[in-house]
Amino acid sequence: MSLLKLEQVTKRFGGLTAVSDFNLDLQEGELVGLIGPNGAGKTTVFNLITNTYYVSEGRILLDGKDITGMKTDRITAAGIARTFQNIRLFGELTVLENVLTACHLRLKSSVISAVFGLPGYRSEEVQMHGKARALLKTLGLDKYERDLAGSLPYGLQRKLEIARALATQPRVLLLDEPAAGMNPEETLALAALILRIRKDFQQTILLIEHDMSLVMTICERIIVLDHGVTIAKGLPEEIQNNPDVITAYLGTGDLYA
Amino acid sequence: MDRRMKLVLTIVSLLIFIMLLWLAENYIDAFIKRILNVAAIYVILGVSLNLINGFTGQFSLGHAGFMALGAYASALLYMSPSLKAMNFFIQPIIWPLSEIEIPFFFALLVGGAVAAIAGFAVGAPCLRVGGDYLAIVTYGFAEIIRVILNNLQSVTNGPLGLKGLPTYTNLYWSWGWALFTIFFIKKLVDSSYGRALKSIREDEVAAEAMGVNLFKHKTMAFVIGAFFAGIGGGLLGSLLMTIDPNSFNISLTFQIVMIVLLGGLGSITGSVVMGISVAFLMELLRFVESPMTIFGFTIPGISGMRMLIFALILVITVIFFRRGLFGHKEFTWEWIFRSRGRNADESA
Repeated sequence: MSLLKLEQVTKRFGGLTAVSDFNLDLQEGELVGLIGPNGAGKTTVFNLITNTYYVSEGRILLDGKDITGMKTDRITAAGIARTFQNIRLFGELTVLENVLTACHLRLKSSVISAVFGLPGYRSEEVQMHGKARALLKTLGLDKYERDLAGSLPYGLQRKLEIARALATQPRVLLLDEPAAGMNPEETLALAALILRIRKDFQQTILLIEHDMSLVMTICERIIVLDHGVTIAKGLPEEIQNNPDVITAYLGTGDLYA
Repeated sequence: MDRRMKLVLTIVSLLIFIMLLWLAENYIDAFIKRILNVAAIYVILGVSLNLINGFTGQFSLGHAGFMALGAYASALLYMSPSLKAMNFFIQPIIWPLSEIEIPFFFALLVGGAVAAIAGFAVGAPCLRVGGDYLAIVTYGFAEIIRVILNNLQSVTNGPLGLKGLPTYTNLYWSWGWALFTIFFIKKLVDSSYGRALKSIREDEVAAEAMGVNLFKHKTMAFVIGAFFAGIGGGLLGSLLMTIDPNSFNISLTFQIVMIVLLGGLGSITGSVVMGISVAFLMELLRFVESPMTIFGFTIPGISGMRMLIFALILVITVIFFRRGLFGHKEFTWEWIFRSRGRNADESA
């Protein structure tokens, strides 16, 4: 059975159809890329999955369970975590606190037991710290633990966003242009990192990316969006040679067409 | 520095503080004692407002409303039936309230609880709006409370207010509650819940995407903040011995907002320091309201001049020290000993 399934999902903003009849079938453990030119509706798809935008039509299923219209934090708790295209870290909190905040949704202790430091809360706090530190170590951020997230260099901020998303223990990880603003070397390192996360955590990943080389090298399947319409689906090689995709990205050869 | 050492330091300084309170309660003159009481109440109000405005980033202007509820609810419970009968000479007070008299402590708790319920009632619907809109909505709420108190003659005695309240508030009560407020809110903001609150302040969209239930956490901040505001209001009522709806107007809220801004949004230490400072400055600056002669010009005493000076301080702070006195920083034992150590190194 597929882990994340989008059935004929459509989003309209007034007269504009940002995404139309979008279908996705994400299997457990897969790494799928979602590409398309600027304004194609890629991020909108993410916003629909996390219910940042309401779905106009269609259904979203996580592991067979309908999550359409569920509140964003409930969806995260159900197992979908995301990063943001324009980094949205908690800038005035430390790196460790950023990751700990993402662990908060699994906290069972009440406010009162947190305030008075009852044993149940304390042991949970220790657990959360352990988990957060382990995650930071995996991503090589452990030495910045006490720094403010906002003071980190750009590349590390991107990494921290991934760490924070992973801390929610997602079943599906949505990465929104993780390589944006990175140079080729950094992009290469990022590709290795994504592959490692996938292997270490057996993480199912849906990736939005502009950087073609990154998508082509690491994704198993690719979906291409243009103006909200799915114009191609398939293996990287198929996509590379698909005339529709080339047209969407580069335009037609004929200037007067 | 290890935990045990810090705990010992905290306990020792607490004991010294209690001893000082005892000395103050017994040997200091009534005027200073009153300022110290007001200072404690400002601390309670400042710290509780800081939880909502500073840590959760929800700009609320409703604190005077919560205080009014706490002050009235507790006063109506700890006043003796005969005192109530004396106060309500235009229209008698309604039945159950006319007979009830409970101890001060429990009356305060009920006052806090009433304010907390109001905090929930206000917080829940209006947390859908953010920023300036929330400020307007909460300000509107405080005004509604004031109008209701003015018109509910048979419960609140309307604009006449409640007079001759017994003075239960002393330094133990006021500072006891102030310490508890500081303890509670400090522990809260340092906990996992506190991190969630701060994440809402930093980026609401990201916080929600990381699984923070916005509604639950924002309402929680409002309820806890309102509870302590209610307690502060109750203490203030018993200290001033008289309350009327118009003493809980916007300028009271403004005073507390000022304490929080000057001390630093997101710094409990800042709210404590500024709460005490403002209480003393209010009295020290009284001279500017008396008639005076400057360069041969005689200026008649203008009441309210003090607020002008505070406004000036606030403007300067906002322009030049945007993060207030302390920013997000807090007092810690490490901080004291680290600076000590550095000084020792330099002198060596």
